[in-house]
Amino acid sequence: MELEIGPRYDPLRQEVRDFLADQGVHALPAAVGARADRDAGTRWQRTLVEHGYVGRTIPRNYGGFGAAEDPLETLVIEQELSRARVSTGMQNQGIGMLVPTLLHYGSEEQKQRWIGPTIRGETIWCQGYSEPESGSDLASLRTRARRDGDDYVINGQKIWTSSARESDMMFALVRTEPDAKKHSGISYLLLEVKTPGIDVRPLMTMTGDATFNEVFFTDARVPVTNLVGAPGQGWEIGTYLLRHERDMLGRPQQSETMLASCVEVLRDTGKIADPLFRDRLISLQARVLAMKYHGLRLLTDRLKERDSGLSRLVVKLNGCQLNYDICALAIDALGERGVLRRGSPRVRDGGAWQIQYMYSLGLIIGGGTAQIQKNIIGEVGLGLPREPKSATG
Amino acid sequence: MDFGLSDSQLLLRRSIRELLERTVPIERVRRHLADSSGDRGLRLELGDQGITGLMVAEEHDGSGLGLLDATVAAQELGRLVTPISFHSSCAVAPLLIQGAGDEAQRRRWLPEIAAGRAVVTAALDLDVSPFDVSDREPATVADADLADAIVIHTEGDLLLVEAGDPGLVIEPLQTVDETRRVAAVRWIGGPTSRATRLASSPNVPALVARAEQAAQILLSADLLGACQRALGFAVDYARERRQFGRVIGSFQAVKHLCAETAAALEPLQSLLWYAAFAWDQRSAEAAQLAPLLKAHAAEVGSTAVTNTTQVMGGIGFTHECDMHLWFKRVGYDRQFYGAPQTLRAQAASLLFESAAAPAAG
Repeated sequence: MELEIGPRYDPLRQEVRDFLADQGVHALPAAVGARADRDAGTRWQRTLVEHGYVGRTIPRNYGGFGAAEDPLETLVIEQELSRARVSTGMQNQGIGMLVPTLLHYGSEEQKQRWIGPTIRGETIWCQGYSEPESGSDLASLRTRARRDGDDYVINGQKIWTSSARESDMMFALVRTEPDAKKHSGISYLLLEVKTPGIDVRPLMTMTGDATFNEVFFTDARVPVTNLVGAPGQGWEIGTYLLRHERDMLGRPQQSETMLASCVEVLRDTGKIADPLFRDRLISLQARVLAMKYHGLRLLTDRLKERDSGLSRLVVKLNGCQLNYDICALAIDALGERGVLRRGSPRVRDGGAWQIQYMYSLGLIIGGGTAQIQKNIIGEVGLGLPREPKSATG
Repeated sequence: MDFGLSDSQLLLRRSIRELLERTVPIERVRRHLADSSGDRGLRLELGDQGITGLMVAEEHDGSGLGLLDATVAAQELGRLVTPISFHSSCAVAPLLIQGAGDEAQRRRWLPEIAAGRAVVTAALDLDVSPFDVSDREPATVADADLADAIVIHTEGDLLLVEAGDPGLVIEPLQTVDETRRVAAVRWIGGPTSRATRLASSPNVPALVARAEQAAQILLSADLLGACQRALGFAVDYARERRQFGRVIGSFQAVKHLCAETAAALEPLQSLLWYAAFAWDQRSAEAAQLAPLLKAHAAEVGSTAVTNTTQVMGGIGFTHECDMHLWFKRVGYDRQFYGAPQTLRAQAASLLFESAAAPAAG
């Protein structure tokens, strides 16, 4: 057991510190999201990419820094940026999901064209997977892309499309081979959100935010050069991506930060002295620490290029439920004030607890529901047999 | 960065598992349950293989290994429900004798413990009842009825009391978990007692606290090993047993019970390793982590063996299958060295009233 990162990484750590000193930390944005000040965010993102603090391992000819894969370098950079309380860079589906997929499956032309602008934050992406009739059973999706000369003509509907209104591009799963079997008729397509025939409508969620959208396609034309991989290969490509999404959800750092804020709520409300509240708090603390050290275990597996197996499959299920339970405790500690919503007088932390409470429930459902996670743990992790297919398949 | 077991710890795990599978198969455990004469023979065999002396210093014929190494052993012992109270006789007692005994006391007992020839247990925070023994609840102590000696912590003092001492009243008890023995212990003391003080520690409360933390961490390891084996047992059954024309493991109702159990056990393993590492590093965190871990393990463990027993259906409720052994093993691990609510209250005091917390070494 060795938890030190080691002196080998000291020069990199010093380099990041010098970089931050040169930049003048106070002028830097604390958080950058798709809807934040896009210019400032994009400028900072570009600076991070130039210095190799984002997209570090992406080859130089695709706009990255071309460093060898080393999760500890990434960790050191994140630690130093976080310590200075500046943004570690944009977290979005283009960077988190599309880029690794293009690196694996994209054509040379696609890599040249899309990876650079995406990691620099100049091109924002959304994901077009789920449909009203295809949730957990994603492979039953019906949005049709019919070949017509050099174009695909798309008709159908996507739903749960996060940030579609703020996005320039969408990576989508569409059905190109209607006569093929369920999984083998799907293709992976890149399309401009502003294409004529694409209509984006906000979908109000229970948090009161329209973080999701519905996207309608009516004879939208997309050039066939935007197909990634081969026609019919979309299921393989899309599920390669989903593994990345599950890694992004349920990160232990977030639970740790959330629990620290929850402790503040308990202190301020005096509930920290109440044995029943303390009991719940300590139960959560144990779960947070378990996930924190579990994260180090998974990191070690990555460093040793070892398959984490079952231990990796349990992160999303545990992490999302944990965040939900932390929010519930904070809300309980606030008593009647716990129901106040954003904008109300006397609301605690700007209403973040109720929003996070509901948003966490959304994440228990999204990105593979908790029930689907349990199927995966049971089938992939424990080797239990799949549910027999129904007659309609 | 290298979180988890080292290559030598993985090797230790493999060799202990192979040894236990060979020498203490489940048939032997079942025979042990029927025969209450104790585990002397088994202890000698484990002593031969260096298991009882893992934490005893090398100069006293032990291996001088750390707590993380000992958790590896404890987890394997729990997995195979081996009839031994490893946490007390192979950790708490030798730690206290090593930490507070004089040279003669150490020479007398530590090599015997390491070889598996002597059973020494420990009774911490024992009340003294010099005048009336009947009005006090006695302590419930592992192995006390067959121990050659008991380390007693009473009124801030550590005493080493040999079996048969007139200052000691011992009453054998019967437990649900028949793989471990317990007895009621009362300490009367008095002028006829031949007990000797373990007096060379500069800080007895800190030493006792460290030993208690070690016990909490090792019981968590034992529990986790038992739960992992119970889950493996249930999963194997769910892959074989057919109802409604399908193996029951293909039903989500059954599959999800197994998945929830696995999802809780995996992070527990990570927390266990870290807590043992923190203890080995003498990190101040260990004082909070040990009760926190033990409380969490108890909750996760009880749910785990409830789930795995349910997966077995009616047969899991009988002696026809061995599931009850793991169920009861976890039940024991949950109760000793603090029930979960008590431990959470203790961890909360350490975390939120750190100024008032007792010093831990």
